[in-house]
Amino acid sequence: MKDLDFDADRALARDFLLNYADANGESKYLNLLQDVANHKLRSVQIDLEDLFNYKDLDEEFFRRVMENTRRYLGVFAEAIDTVMPEPTEAFPDDDHDILMTQRMEYDSEKADGPDPKQRMPPEIKRFYEVYIKASSKERPFTIREVKASYIGQLVRISGIVTRCSDVKPLMQVSVYTCEDCGFEIYQEVTARIFMPLFECPSKRCQINNAKGNLILQLRASKFLKFQEAKIQELAEHVPKGHIPRSMTVHLRGELTRKVAPGDVVELSGIFLPIPYMGFRAMRAGLVADTYLEAMSVNHFKKKYEEYELKGDEEEQIARLAEDGDIYNKLSRSLAPEIFGHEDVKKALLLLLVGAPHRQLNDGMKIRGDLHVCLMGDPGVAKSQLLKHIINVAPRGVYTTGRGSSGVGLTAAVQKDPVTNEMVLEGGALVLADMGICAIDEFDKMEESDRTAIHEVMEQQTVSIAKAGITTSLNARTAVLAAANPAWTPAENINLPPALLSRFDLLWLILDRADMDNDLELARHVVYVHQNKESPALGFAPLEPSVLRAYISAARKVSPYVPKDLEEYIASAYSGIRQDEAKTSAPHSYTTVRTLLSILRISSALARLRFSETVAQSDVDEALRLMQMSKFSLYSDDRQKSGLDAISDIYSILRDEAARTNKLDVSYADALNWISRKGYSEAQLKECLEEYAALNVWQIHPNTFDIRFIDA
Amino acid sequence: MVGIAFDCLSNPLGAVRVTFEKAIASGIDPTNLNGKDWGALDVFRDCLFDQGALSQVPILDHSSIGWIQPNSLVRFRGMVQDMLGNEFYVGAFKDGSTWRTNKFTDIASFPMGSQSETRIWERQLLYCVPVPGQNSWTIQHSSESMFNRCNKWTSQHGEKRQRDDEMVIDYMVPQESQGSTSSSKKMREGEFTGQSPQLHESFNDEMSAKVSVLTSFDSNRLPCLVKVYDSPESDLKLNDVLEFVGVFTFDPVLSVQADGSEDVSNELFEDALSHLPPNKVPRLHCLIHRKLANHDFLLSSPAIERAPNLVRETREALVGHLTTILGNDGLAAECVLLHLLSRVHGRVDSVALGKLSLNLTGFTRESLTVFGSQLNHAIQTLLPFTKSIPFTVEYLNTASLAPQKDYEKNRLVTSALQLAEGTHVTIDETQLQEGMLNATGVENVTLLKNLMELQKVEYDFNYYKLEMPTDVQLLILSEGKSNILPADLVLPIQPTVVGSSLNCASEAQQAWRWYLATLRSSAHDIDPDMQKIIEDDLVAARQEDRSLGSNDFSRWLTMGRLVSASFGETRLTLEHWQMVKELERRRKERLNEMRK
Repeated sequence: MKDLDFDADRALARDFLLNYADANGESKYLNLLQDVANHKLRSVQIDLEDLFNYKDLDEEFFRRVMENTRRYLGVFAEAIDTVMPEPTEAFPDDDHDILMTQRMEYDSEKADGPDPKQRMPPEIKRFYEVYIKASSKERPFTIREVKASYIGQLVRISGIVTRCSDVKPLMQVSVYTCEDCGFEIYQEVTARIFMPLFECPSKRCQINNAKGNLILQLRASKFLKFQEAKIQELAEHVPKGHIPRSMTVHLRGELTRKVAPGDVVELSGIFLPIPYMGFRAMRAGLVADTYLEAMSVNHFKKKYEEYELKGDEEEQIARLAEDGDIYNKLSRSLAPEIFGHEDVKKALLLLLVGAPHRQLNDGMKIRGDLHVCLMGDPGVAKSQLLKHIINVAPRGVYTTGRGSSGVGLTAAVQKDPVTNEMVLEGGALVLADMGICAIDEFDKMEESDRTAIHEVMEQQTVSIAKAGITTSLNARTAVLAAANPAWTPAENINLPPALLSRFDLLWLILDRADMDNDLELARHVVYVHQNKESPALGFAPLEPSVLRAYISAARKVSPYVPKDLEEYIASAYSGIRQDEAKTSAPHSYTTVRTLLSILRISSALARLRFSETVAQSDVDEALRLMQMSKFSLYSDDRQKSGLDAISDIYSILRDEAARTNKLDVSYADALNWISRKGYSEAQLKECLEEYAALNVWQIHPNTFDIRFIDA
Repeated sequence: MVGIAFDCLSNPLGAVRVTFEKAIASGIDPTNLNGKDWGALDVFRDCLFDQGALSQVPILDHSSIGWIQPNSLVRFRGMVQDMLGNEFYVGAFKDGSTWRTNKFTDIASFPMGSQSETRIWERQLLYCVPVPGQNSWTIQHSSESMFNRCNKWTSQHGEKRQRDDEMVIDYMVPQESQGSTSSSKKMREGEFTGQSPQLHESFNDEMSAKVSVLTSFDSNRLPCLVKVYDSPESDLKLNDVLEFVGVFTFDPVLSVQADGSEDVSNELFEDALSHLPPNKVPRLHCLIHRKLANHDFLLSSPAIERAPNLVRETREALVGHLTTILGNDGLAAECVLLHLLSRVHGRVDSVALGKLSLNLTGFTRESLTVFGSQLNHAIQTLLPFTKSIPFTVEYLNTASLAPQKDYEKNRLVTSALQLAEGTHVTIDETQLQEGMLNATGVENVTLLKNLMELQKVEYDFNYYKLEMPTDVQLLILSEGKSNILPADLVLPIQPTVVGSSLNCASEAQQAWRWYLATLRSSAHDIDPDMQKIIEDDLVAARQEDRSLGSNDFSRWLTMGRLVSASFGETRLTLEHWQMVKELERRRKERLNEMRK
């Protein structure tokens, strides 16, 4: 090994501490040291990023600090000793300070020359700890990636804490007094095990050949808080077919009691081997255990609002935002393996994005979360959609209406088995606060939970008055429900209207006897079996992480409705109301809630465009989605309630025309649509003639193209 | 050449050393080696495979551990049950001025000064166990001749050896508990504390120590701690079945320590290794490993070519055999055959392609004792790994089916569902009585259901769960259709005769085993024309019966694949597709019959 010039490096470190200026031009470390001198802080954290950004950076020095961090902790500590300012504020002396003053006095009194054996180690004087924090620029390592070549280096890793020991004292400097000469003898402890001194090594005892007996002074010795923890790889970092690795972490001093089992943390620390001691060394002289000496501890946060964009994600989002087709692209990337259901996926995308919460001047809150309810036959992939959404959402809870635990959906008061105290335990909806709560089997929900859900969906709180506890918990969550329809077609929607009106969008997904879908399904299955992969989707779905990043970026925007659009929305709303009054459709409940829904959906759409204002196109799309959701609910009633073929063909054509928003339908298209529903060309002709006679549409005499007569 | 072979087998470390010295001499710098191979493996590969010495390498198991010499070359066949992470070791060090290596060994071959320059390398630790559910006919014992040869190597101790061996047998008392009782531990401790470390130089004492240590090996399932070098981490996966060839090390001195009190440092965080003392778990330093498939477990592969007519004959005989067992129910026999040939050959999204779980219904307690046990027995003789899970309320409520991480011991605790690829599992639902399931029971049922539907088992790591893909064949025997465990194929069996003799020639058995093991992994393809026919058939079927879904389509295609595989063909023909449809028709007919 080269004899490294630590004195020179100490000077470099000192230089850095004195001269480093942060972005504001303040000398960060001198301020920090002043606080330490005033006993306000107990630790000095040196950020390697600062060192990297230091104007007079010596790259070799930086590399040495990275690769031999343990040694440089000492170098920095010595440098800090030399630049430590005098305290500027008075603080009460504690035992330690009194002891130190005495020692200092004694030291200076000593006349008979410095005895190296009696020299006070600098550690005992220090009342602060030094940490070197790794730069947080790069991606942290997984435990698996930390290899033998990293021994001795500063690394940053992420993981989940699985075990934690109690905090114990760890001796740093042991102090003895000699029975003969009365001197204090110091011994530095660097390992976990040390051999206590028994004979006084001081000059006087040696000269006198007294072999003075040493007595360990616990009060005078210096101890550090010490805690051991085990961290394990995160589930997403474990390669398929492997087992998560774990690593021992040593936490000292100020870093103790920062983690608890179950925490997801990011640590920086020095990766070090533990030399085996005693008999173990004999057994396994060849192998070394390793541990991470922690230098900093960070907890991970997992909310949209606190989502930090990584690396190139910002750029990627910017690129996506410029793409005009982002709405379609994102919605298709939701559950790409589920075929079709474009509009449903769009609704789910909007649910993820949500609209901004509004608080009015009088204190009333208007929720921004969109609630969506999916209904449909068994086996139309409702549950899969739900689970996928939960996967994409950074905070999501999936539950079924028949929740198993007593806590249920809302909250419960429970008796703590240990303390016998009453404790409030949040249910799924409370746990999903600021996130998404997916409830499967919504129709099979307990009556009590269903009542409570009314409150959650509009007021976004859960109120509790049980066992002497009255309180209200926040449940600002978007509800995504899935339910099975009832058997009779007229009662497709098996839920009370009061609950239904709280959903912004309702979809009925039915499994229709449709030749096209069947063929598509058959092709898909054959393809999958043949090629062992899903057929190409015709587009590359975005990664869930990109989706998440985009959505979190979109959620930061809070668009408003410009004045000139208000009129437009109002007229659209009143139009819907009037339409409803005219028809006798069984389950439509257009209320003020519908108006709010339109606003919410439009704002969510504006958010997707990163726009501060809602555009008319947003409102149009919102209206279209609501219209489509209605179609999905009612077009089916007609079919099942036994209308004759002719009227059914008419309604198919009308629905399709409404869907495409056109008045003209070509004959070829019409034939296509009705044949998929199982009708013949003859029936279509009959229908065309009959309705043309009623003046509903005009038929082109040669091509048979249809033109609806606008009523 | 004989010399080298001899060297590789009996003194592999010597061979390693020679190659290392050669490599150093040729100018390789050990400081940059980083644990990579320097050419030692080629020597072994050449010796074992090209010169066919592999068969001479003894297999490490409970019967051979008594006489296999430490530091000799052994084979171990097992499943990776747990991965203990990486171990850092002093891979190379400077002894004076020459570099020495410690690769493939636990103990330095030369004294290592504390001041000497060292290089730290890494190796993977794998905890391997014999494959769960392995049937006795697949277990290959080291032959007598190998034992004799081993004796020859140490001929000077031949006589003593004989005696030792008798002792081994004496000591082979099956022990239920994992470890020995504390009293025997004490006894061993006492025995060793009297010995000085040098003692193991003497062969005599080593042997006696070894024999006494052997008492703590589990008598029939010998686990092994394999240390893997020179293999990318992604190569070896959990639950893989592998054959490791490597150096068996055993040091009685080290084993003493494991019983003694640990030093203070690690009272909370137990080192996983301290729970695997060398006297219970032998160490193997792996030189070469290879993945094993089912057909590697056939002891003698009969010289059947994949000639179509031979395959056809074997198929016929096997179906005949199964028909007899199932009381002359030909349809059931066909289904069982397809079931036994099934294998997960791909995964798309969450769908496992190729699985075909079978639910034979119509069993009562009485008929089960006849047909069920016969079927079970037959499957055991046909497939290398089989397992049956009792499906009772009590079992479900008490057993933990999901493998679980024990953070106290830092080990993955295995369970009934940690299975190797290609294991056959029989679940007997006739045992199930009405009763309440507790939380564990519900979890276990969900686990089984997921295994059935997705071929995945969730391993419980306490803070999160990890899904491990599996490939097991599930057979459910029940009275009515099992609603708890929905199988792909449900078939009520209709036995007409009580099965008579089960005895069949062992040659036939060999042929059947070979048939199942090889055809299972055969390739499969569908022509575009055939695809069109299938698609049309599927659409037509769905137009007729709306209840058919993608699961049914998927099952038909799987059956098509298996039917054509069962005839030794790799391309689906119309004939076989018709057979599938016919099978399905007959099955449906029978189901409807039962409903009436």
